[in-house]
Amino acid sequence: MKKLFFAAVLTAPFASTSVLAQVMPPAEYVTVAGTSDLYEITSSRVVLETTKDPKVRGFAEMMVDHHTRSTADLKAAAARSRVRAAPPKLMPLQVELIAQLKAEPAATRDLAYIAQQKASHGQALNVQKAYAMEGTAPPLRAAAAQIVPVVERHIAMLMTM
Amino acid sequence: MTSTRLLALLLIGTSSAALAQSRPSPNAPPPPVGARLPAQPPVAATDMQAVLDQMPRLGAKPIEMLPPVKARLQPTAADATRAVMRMKGMSTAPDPAVVTQDLPYGSDPKQYARVYRPAAMPAGGTPMPVIVYYHGGGWVIADVNVYDAAPRLMAKQLNAIVVSVEYRSAPEAKFPAQHDDAAAAYRWVLANAQSWGGDVNKIAFAGESAGGNLAVATAIHARDNRLTMPLHILAVYPIANSSMTLPSKRDSANAKPLNTPMLKWFGHYFSKTPADMRDPRINLVSANLRGLPPVTIVNAQLDPLRSDGETLAAAMRSAGVRVEQRTFEGVTHEFFGMGAVVRGAYDANMYAIGRLQAAFATRNR
Repeated sequence: MKKLFFAAVLTAPFASTSVLAQVMPPAEYVTVAGTSDLYEITSSRVVLETTKDPKVRGFAEMMVDHHTRSTADLKAAAARSRVRAAPPKLMPLQVELIAQLKAEPAATRDLAYIAQQKASHGQALNVQKAYAMEGTAPPLRAAAAQIVPVVERHIAMLMTM
Repeated sequence: MTSTRLLALLLIGTSSAALAQSRPSPNAPPPPVGARLPAQPPVAATDMQAVLDQMPRLGAKPIEMLPPVKARLQPTAADATRAVMRMKGMSTAPDPAVVTQDLPYGSDPKQYARVYRPAAMPAGGTPMPVIVYYHGGGWVIADVNVYDAAPRLMAKQLNAIVVSVEYRSAPEAKFPAQHDDAAAAYRWVLANAQSWGGDVNKIAFAGESAGGNLAVATAIHARDNRLTMPLHILAVYPIANSSMTLPSKRDSANAKPLNTPMLKWFGHYFSKTPADMRDPRINLVSANLRGLPPVTIVNAQLDPLRSDGETLAAAMRSAGVRVEQRTFEGVTHEFFGMGAVVRGAYDANMYAIGRLQAAFATRNR
């Protein structure tokens, strides 16, 4: 039985690409989502240092709060899934984005922050939706499904900014 | 035994399906890349190369090796451009001379548009020209956020309202979802432009890459459905010819940030069947192009889509359309958004803006 299974995989053309979905492995999903939270929290703190706009301030404070919570939820779901993921660390692009925010004076920093938030929330939704659709670790998949509507609410708020 | 055999059949079925068109999932695996062509593209201009050099520094991985969910996380040419700007001490914030508003045109969350307006728009002033702009990304990656530079610049330089259309992306929504959204957005613009201070008698279409295709395809849709025709179409390195043996698809096979394997990757995800690649909405060179307004086509020398633009210009001329096509030397795909730091891009921006300005001015006579 086993033999037949492997024969099928090997005779499948182009064995180099996975024949199944290339859904992120659980540990990679936890790292990517955690990194995205870390970037949200870091960039929001940078804009909170200077913003005079109450709308931007309110949004940034909410981002720190919500993304701290989603990190905790993911950590708990990862533990239930027995997944060990490396602690989140900003990716090179996110390091650059933070440097860009810090380089802006107060007035234009607000604009740069909103533009970055629009882009990063689109990416976060992409990651969460993809894992909620086909993720392999059920507790993490459930966590992703709960994060999707939260990110969608953030996107709806950003559309008014 | 039977279940194993079934599984084996299923696996073979899945893998051969991966060769042509993908499942409608962002986790669907990429198609096989196959043997790389040995072509080495000519050297890019120094300022262009400085932008390209930022891509690996920002952690860019080859798109053609990734499923869409990961491809959408990769740093873009726009990210690389802003990195260069920061290092030169320039502001990377959106130009505050232009303000934006995001408005829905359909029920899907992706069916919205970003309306760009000059911040100093005179109250009760004369209505402004309207440019409907479609972003690129092969209909799979990128969004209005990635393609901010060109619409913002056009709004400022032309004192125009630019409507940058977001649309559903593939493989979640496959062809012709993007063409349907592009047309729906245009009907919505026609119904609403006046309330934004726009002049519905002065409309132009513009777009980059997959969006350059949408600009032309939507004008064809407007002609066939007797909608108001745009005065001008600006197609920047459009997807326009599905032939994979065109000169640029060989000589720029390994160009950056777009290479020929990526074109196959996009097709794998956006098409439902192989026949979609021959659909005149994608393979624009085979479309009925008669009756289109004057067209400007901008191409980059180091771009696998260069021949798409050249062959589209030829097809348009044969159909009696007034078309001007220019290929800018030493620059690559996506250069049109790099005017702040790449000389060739600045020149192309000024050329395109001049063409649009002239088109809007004709209407005043």
